[in-house]
Amino acid sequence: MIQFKALLTKELKEALRDRRALMMALSFAIMAPIIIFTMSKVMINKITETPEVYIKINGAEFAPKLIKHLKDENILSFKRVPDDEKIMWDERDVILTIPKTFNQDMLDGKPIELILNTDYSDKAMMSPIRRIKDKIRGYAQSIGYKRLLVRGIDVRLLQPIKLIEQNTAMPNSNAMIISMMLGLYLLIAAFMSGLPVAIDSSAGERERNVLEMLLCQPVSTVKIVLAKLTSASLIAVVGVVLTLALTSFAVSFIDLTKIGASFSLDSFTISALLLLLIPICFFASALQLFVAFQSKNFKEAQSMVSIIILIPAMVPFATMMMDDRPKWLDWLPVAGQSLIMEDLFKGLPVSWGLMVFTTLVTIIMTILLVLAMARKLKSEKVVLALS
Amino acid sequence: MIEVNNLRKTFAGDKKGKENRVIALDGLSFTANNGEITGILGPNGAGKTTCLRTLYGLLKADSGYATIDGINVVENPLLARKEIGIFPDKFGLYERLTAYEQIDYFASLHGLQGEAKHQAIETVIRDLEMTELAHRKTAGFSQGQRMKVTLAQALVHQPKNFVLDEPTRGLDVMSTRVLRNYLARFKKKGHCILFSSHVMQEVAALCDRVIIVANGKLAAQGTPTELCELAGESNLEEAFVKIIGSDEGVAA
Repeated sequence: MIQFKALLTKELKEALRDRRALMMALSFAIMAPIIIFTMSKVMINKITETPEVYIKINGAEFAPKLIKHLKDENILSFKRVPDDEKIMWDERDVILTIPKTFNQDMLDGKPIELILNTDYSDKAMMSPIRRIKDKIRGYAQSIGYKRLLVRGIDVRLLQPIKLIEQNTAMPNSNAMIISMMLGLYLLIAAFMSGLPVAIDSSAGERERNVLEMLLCQPVSTVKIVLAKLTSASLIAVVGVVLTLALTSFAVSFIDLTKIGASFSLDSFTISALLLLLIPICFFASALQLFVAFQSKNFKEAQSMVSIIILIPAMVPFATMMMDDRPKWLDWLPVAGQSLIMEDLFKGLPVSWGLMVFTTLVTIIMTILLVLAMARKLKSEKVVLALS
Repeated sequence: MIEVNNLRKTFAGDKKGKENRVIALDGLSFTANNGEITGILGPNGAGKTTCLRTLYGLLKADSGYATIDGINVVENPLLARKEIGIFPDKFGLYERLTAYEQIDYFASLHGLQGEAKHQAIETVIRDLEMTELAHRKTAGFSQGQRMKVTLAQALVHQPKNFVLDEPTRGLDVMSTRVLRNYLARFKKKGHCILFSSHVMQEVAALCDRVIIVANGKLAAQGTPTELCELAGESNLEEAFVKIIGSDEGVAA
């Protein structure tokens, strides 16, 4: 116990005195709320506003009513485009052609062909085009309904089946964008914050020739590994807590009611998140230490460990994309936690059994990594970086 | 007491085959007794460091064994390491800690605590004349100062056996004297001191017994005078060159 205490105090002292590395680790936590704040602001704007769309209309004079109808929806004629957006809208090149015979055909009750000409594969134009189409279809439908009504026909005849959509998503679900980002960010924070400490105390110490001296001492390698793991993980936990605290503070400034979302980090959510993330901090640090000890030198360790960062960045996306994912995926570290976090943010009931099980798997894998490292540190190849 | 018996150690080189294999130790045996300073002399690459690393249990010998106070270092590494103070071949310092904190760290690793630990640290700092350095961070220490810190952390727990791998490299005369007096004092108290060196005068002045290692084997052993007589030379350096059979490595 004396030994472990000494080992841990030394690791923490070194970690805390390495100001630059520490700042780097924690700056990540400080960046989180800023990114989330700005991104959600932008997204809310996109969802709630109907920005101006400028289209080139041929033959506008033939259907003034239709043009006015479009104008109500902020779909405007290209003639009125402000100068600074002119080039952009000219390139997007949306052309609506109205035939000369529009009025006459309308009177005669003949079908009128309007032509909408544009690049339909342009992602940025998807929503404006949808708006144009909806608007024209709505305009046509309302005229059609009036025609039927005038002839004394119930318009409901046109709708033999009516689909009623009931949204079962909790009100929180609309805040999904923010919460998904936060979840991802928290996972990455768990991996990022302890990283400099983990590399420095393993590959760094070996390169500075202090590891050899330590391994000559009458200390079991398990204790050495545990001390290094604890110190790196504690820094990671601090990073995660800081991220959470700052984010819940920043989110309170965003008016989420605009998109009908109520998103809050209450004490229950926060404690559940911490319960999920603390084992991940330990797992991440163990993985990083393991890889760093395996590599030949500091540089190699750095590049190898950076690859590990991809795990929290990619796994949640992968699980989201997979439609029918295998069951065992829910139990793995990182994947399991990200799924539970998703439920937590959606406001769905959390499956405590799954949570306990995932945590257990994470802890067991961490222990295995520790034991493997303790074994490795006894091998001359790893100690002297001969491999 | 440190005993090394018939140690053999081969490094694989690369995977291709046997051509690149390096035989570092080829049946080396010797004993370092309590109350004596034993010096290991040998040209570069003779296997001195490999032998000492095997003693701390950092390397595992292919065959043969080493014991410290009768404890086999392979079977019982933790127990054996408790009995030795190690000054390794490659050493670094924790540059973010002060000298005192480092010595404290190693003292704690040896199980010292409380007042006993404090006393032990103060004593070793005083003995090595490094009071002024004690509370400075070790980043930027000179070679001699680094050496002192490493020595202090190796010897703070007053081990029965000292193993020093070229402790005087880079030390100035004053520091070398401090070290020499320090070792002589422990010799009188009955400790076993084993150290490797290249500096002939020092070995001649300090060692009770000298072990000459060449090509991983014991080439000769005895007191410095005995070795000179054995080789029929008047000084140890000439004797050394004659015994190892070449003048290779003497320049180092």
